[in-house]
Amino acid sequence: MADSKKPADSSRPDLEDSTSVVDRHEGLLAQGAAQAREKQVAETGMEPVSLWVFVASAVVLLVAGGVLGAGGKLFSYNPHPQGYTRTEFVSDADTGPTIGPILTALTKRGKNIYAKCSGCHGSTGNGDGNQFPPLAGSDWVTGSTERLAQIILNGLSGPIDVGGKTYNGVMPAQAPLTAAELAAVMTFVRNEFNDVGDIVTVEQAANALKVYESRPQGQITVKELNEKYDKMLEGEPVDPATMVDFETLKPAAAE
Amino acid sequence: MGSDSDSQTKLHDDMELRARIDRSLRHPVMFFFASGAAWLAVALILGFISSYQSHDTRFLSGVGFLNYGRVYPAHLNVLIYGWGCQAAFGLIVWLMARLSRKECTCPGVILTAGHIWNFGVLAGMLGILWGYGSGKPWMEFPSAIWPLFLVSYFFITVWSFIQFRCSEPGKTYVAQWYLLAALFWFPWVYLTAHLFVFVFNGHPVMAAGVNAWFKYALIFLFFTPVALGTSYYLAPKVTGRPVYSYPLALFGFWALAIIGPWAGMQKLAGGPLPQFMPYVGAAATVLILIPALAVGVNILMTLRGHESQVVASPSLRFTIAGIASFLILGLVGMGLNTPAALKMTQFSLTGYGFEILAIYGFFSMCAFGGIYFIVPRVTRREWLSRRFIGWHFWLTIYGIATVVVCSIMGGLFHGAAQEAYNSAWQDAAKISYAYTVGTTVAWGFILFGSLFFLLHLLLMWARLGRRSQHPTLLQGEHHGESPHGPEDDLDKLHTAEA
Repeated sequence: MADSKKPADSSRPDLEDSTSVVDRHEGLLAQGAAQAREKQVAETGMEPVSLWVFVASAVVLLVAGGVLGAGGKLFSYNPHPQGYTRTEFVSDADTGPTIGPILTALTKRGKNIYAKCSGCHGSTGNGDGNQFPPLAGSDWVTGSTERLAQIILNGLSGPIDVGGKTYNGVMPAQAPLTAAELAAVMTFVRNEFNDVGDIVTVEQAANALKVYESRPQGQITVKELNEKYDKMLEGEPVDPATMVDFETLKPAAAE
Repeated sequence: MGSDSDSQTKLHDDMELRARIDRSLRHPVMFFFASGAAWLAVALILGFISSYQSHDTRFLSGVGFLNYGRVYPAHLNVLIYGWGCQAAFGLIVWLMARLSRKECTCPGVILTAGHIWNFGVLAGMLGILWGYGSGKPWMEFPSAIWPLFLVSYFFITVWSFIQFRCSEPGKTYVAQWYLLAALFWFPWVYLTAHLFVFVFNGHPVMAAGVNAWFKYALIFLFFTPVALGTSYYLAPKVTGRPVYSYPLALFGFWALAIIGPWAGMQKLAGGPLPQFMPYVGAAATVLILIPALAVGVNILMTLRGHESQVVASPSLRFTIAGIASFLILGLVGMGLNTPAALKMTQFSLTGYGFEILAIYGFFSMCAFGGIYFIVPRVTRREWLSRRFIGWHFWLTIYGIATVVVCSIMGGLFHGAAQEAYNSAWQDAAKISYAYTVGTTVAWGFILFGSLFFLLHLLLMWARLGRRSQHPTLLQGEHHGESPHGPEDDLDKLHTAEA
């Protein structure tokens, strides 16, 4: 057997006929037909590269240089690079008078701040009748201003009686507020939902903030409010009809 | 005569070696491709849902874990880590073994690490949907996942590096440069970005900058080199023609290596960072067109004169689509990063379009090309249906073109409308409405096409492919001229015998 497999002449393998070429090919291809038909490429081309590739690359480099140039001073922290500065906002809408009674000025400003409160107390100040007490017709709003200011700044926990009904929820603290914001929102709830007719001045609100800062952090209770804060805020009252500039809230001559 | 028979034996030995390499890697490679394709289908379903929600906010709004803020990051992360990385691993592992001419000695370790990676993707996706996402773009998987990914990455790819080191000295192919670079760049980019964002207690603005850099670094320093390595392997392999120009390949590679790492921070232009960071990022993204031109010219010139093969071979057809997308990516990158356009791209749909063009139009198309080439070799079966391949190709091409055009064009209008800051933001959202509807429809097409791909791949994995010596081609008779080399010898032999 061994002899018969040997080619008759080793230099002429094609004369050897003991193995079937077809069989060998079939075996080979069954193992790896895909591998067998693969092409072998060992070398790498050295074709000349068109100059246009480099010309195009140079154009890209120029564009990139322009982009980098638009950055201005590269190591500065200037947050207003080219194209990132807004022009002054000019509204097309009629914004109304810029001078008017201080009551109007504070109520108008307070309305924007109240947007935050309206989620619970409702846009008409009527609460939800269940968990969140109404502001309209509430003694807590129309009564002493210092008490109201401390509720707004500290938030409130524990039961509270409003209009003959006990509410037992938790109000989160609304601080930090600026004195002007506090004055505006207090004036708004006292005059929009109720009919108190006076204003809380910025000076009074600033005093409320001082009281708030001297008090330890944490929500206030009805007991503490009635013991310590059941009084009007310190500060000169201002006539609600005083003409002021809406921007600065400083007295101004009527136009 | 003697030398002729010598070369015949050599060819035979060589073929046997290649068959052995393919056989040694069949389990890990098929696992990466099949599970990657399954994750791709999941990513596309999530992409469809999130795109639908961008124009119809009531869609699935009652289902907490499927709200937009969770589905959108889940969509991108599954696309990147579930499909993109796994497809890349399959390609790297197989191509490096073939190019280094070394059998894989530890497919079991790769397979185990691959399962761990898949577990990470699953846990990460569920984490995002359950509301534990980290909120950092492309790093949304809960932060316990990333160290797991790094360990698993090490055990998947270290063998490819060892194979390269142990291969016989001599020729290093262009494909190997890119694959080897990707092997090193991925852990560098991934580890650096995650350390700066999750571990080091740096300035949060800087962390946002690193996050923006990470996205582009992952595209240009991992997905791009893997896609280009695959294309530089397939184009000469299938046509039988050497790579057009070696110097141009060298130029393209080093251009990418030098430019790639700078891109990405333009997302924060106008932000409180030293100015050079966003503007160097924008300039680098413009410059990406240079390596894109070099590679595009090189691969297209390699394929020139082989048009019939490009049309007939699934591998080449997907490859050429991917390379064309890379050129488009370079051009779009140049357009979008000029100062006038940049501010329209930062908070609009445009960025998404650019990322999808990079990951799907470019990387995934090249990866599909590689998969259509590799799978018949490792399974020893031919693809079942040319129709499935054709549908996958055309649905994907049209779908991706639509997603990219809608997102980029719509995004530019969207961005310009947002600049009109004294009209309501809702007006800007209304402008992009038609484009987001287009994107949703296109994701549907892509999903449909990739379901054919998934089904086809699973059938191949189950070894239900055709038992034939003729490759599945998209055109021409099975017995006609083949782009994969002569294959009718056997028929001739049979005829001669008879």
